[in-house]
Amino acid sequence: MRRSLYHAVLWLVALIWFAPVAWIILSAFKTREDILATPPKLLFTPTLQNFRDLFTTNASFVVQFANSVVLSLVSVVIAVAISFLAAYAFSRFKPKGTDFLMFLLLSVRMLPGPAVILPIYLMYAAFGWKDNHVALVLFYAMFSVPFSVWILKGFLDGVSIRYDETGRVNGGSWFHVIFRVVLPQVKPGLIAAFIFNLIFVWNEFLFNFVIGGVQTQNIPYALAVGTYSDGGLNWTFIATMTTIYILPPILAIYAFQKYLLVGMTFGTVRGEV
Amino acid sequence: MVDIVLDRVTKRFGSQTAVDALETTFGSGQVTCLLGPSGCGKTTLMRMIAGLEVPTAGRILIGGRDVAGLPPRQRDVGMVFQYPVMYPTLSVAENIEEPLRHDRSVSGGERAKRVDEMLDVLDMRDLRDALIDELNTGLRQKVAVGRAVARHAEVVLFDEPTTNIEVDAKLTLIRAIKAVTTRLRQTIVYVTHDQTEAMTLADSIALMEQGRIVQQDAPRALYAAPRTRFAGWFLGNPGMNYLGTEVRDGAVHSPMLAAPIPLPGGRNGQVVLGVRPEWITVGAGRAEGEVTDCVIGIGGRRLMTVRLGREVVRIKCSAAEAVAPGGWVRFSVPPDRVVLFDDKGEAIAALTQGVPA
Repeated sequence: MRRSLYHAVLWLVALIWFAPVAWIILSAFKTREDILATPPKLLFTPTLQNFRDLFTTNASFVVQFANSVVLSLVSVVIAVAISFLAAYAFSRFKPKGTDFLMFLLLSVRMLPGPAVILPIYLMYAAFGWKDNHVALVLFYAMFSVPFSVWILKGFLDGVSIRYDETGRVNGGSWFHVIFRVVLPQVKPGLIAAFIFNLIFVWNEFLFNFVIGGVQTQNIPYALAVGTYSDGGLNWTFIATMTTIYILPPILAIYAFQKYLLVGMTFGTVRGEV
Repeated sequence: MVDIVLDRVTKRFGSQTAVDALETTFGSGQVTCLLGPSGCGKTTLMRMIAGLEVPTAGRILIGGRDVAGLPPRQRDVGMVFQYPVMYPTLSVAENIEEPLRHDRSVSGGERAKRVDEMLDVLDMRDLRDALIDELNTGLRQKVAVGRAVARHAEVVLFDEPTTNIEVDAKLTLIRAIKAVTTRLRQTIVYVTHDQTEAMTLADSIALMEQGRIVQQDAPRALYAAPRTRFAGWFLGNPGMNYLGTEVRDGAVHSPMLAAPIPLPGGRNGQVVLGVRPEWITVGAGRAEGEVTDCVIGIGGRRLMTVRLGREVVRIKCSAAEAVAPGGWVRFSVPPDRVVLFDDKGEAIAALTQGVPA
């Protein structure tokens, strides 16, 4: 009885939280009249016209979607690779001032974007890096490193140094020890760092808007700019694009949810994965 | 086969000196046990030989080659740790084979042969395809021994491999180590704080105290003729009895001795007479003491604690010879079974030479 009540509450909360998402996804298949109908229509004839419109009339959409995918994947892969090696060094060699450096790293992440947007903009403008994919990838990678180092250091600290030593005295090179012995053991951490940063870059608007440009527009940028294009709120556009936009992260999170749970504890709780 | 020469090897951690200008040679093809209490620097010394620590000063030569600056994999050493670390997802055979894969000079056929040979020596043929996760710590440690030895490295290091293993498995493991070491004649350094283990395995025991080797000798010689009071106390269970004894007219007088032992050099004053509990003969003699305790030891032998004047003597004897607490017992010690120490705790050499092993 208690248990089913508990489950009922969980379902209720989940449904309330999911309602706006459901509204957006349903709206993507509605006509403009159906979306704005009062009372809201739950039963309607679904149409794919909105998607057709998006791909035909809005030529830049495909580029924007591709930009989002490329920018987030490339920058996060770079960031996680660098972070893993950095975290390994922090965890194993404990250079002087490790604690301070870790604090410094975290404080980079704690800075609100708007606080650094001006210096970054000036720097990018001076270097002539505006509207450049490589430059944006660098920026996103830089922004993803601190959190990844933190999460991975937690995981690496949980892997006993005995593994390293055993590997080394039994003829393994550093390469072997780091990538064949230690890396497989922090896979949950790598995946968690990957997903968290992917979501961050995927959702990033401010920097894309300011230091990006026509060639590097991503979906959040397109959403923000396209919303008012119709002389009012363009609801079919918003709903359709949002639906496509939220799909990749949802799939990724669904596929890796067990790793995320471990990742959220910064590796301090060694769950069975 | 190679020997290991340590040339004034020193290791400091901050202000602490773990290994202090240590100079010795570990014989080629021999099993040398580093024995000593916790914190005496034996593990640090071994980690320096393996290449996991860099010496603060001094040279380490393996087969005449200075390895102090080389990474572990270029030193041709294998090592077994206190905790067996394995690839949990691989089978026993694959775990033994894994390090061989790093060595390009070993062909696939040779690898398979060595793995088979190792499984034979370790008596683990039937566990060949078992996953490491299915094994207990003792068996894992056996696999770790196999893995370290199968590489045919010139030097194999063991760092207290039996510490975390239950008693039964411990004996099996020691037997396996003995089998492996006698078979391959690699140069072996074995760190332990367990003297029984050291006595069983070693060709030579290096006894360490505070970062120095205080004595390096064959096990029996080390046991019979300790060169310091520390060595006499650390080996044996219980260790040596020490009795303050008077030197008069150039000879050592003690109620335990039938006749005074003449002391060359004609010194007078005090020396310390060291005698092992099992060297004492019970039943006759000038010394007579009150038994305060009597416990049963290994093999039904008795360990008596006897008060002799102000001193306490522990005596090992047979059940028939034992006297219940409260009783009195007479005992003596043969003069060739006595080690004399000066006031600095060092054995007076002239008199320890003749002690039989």
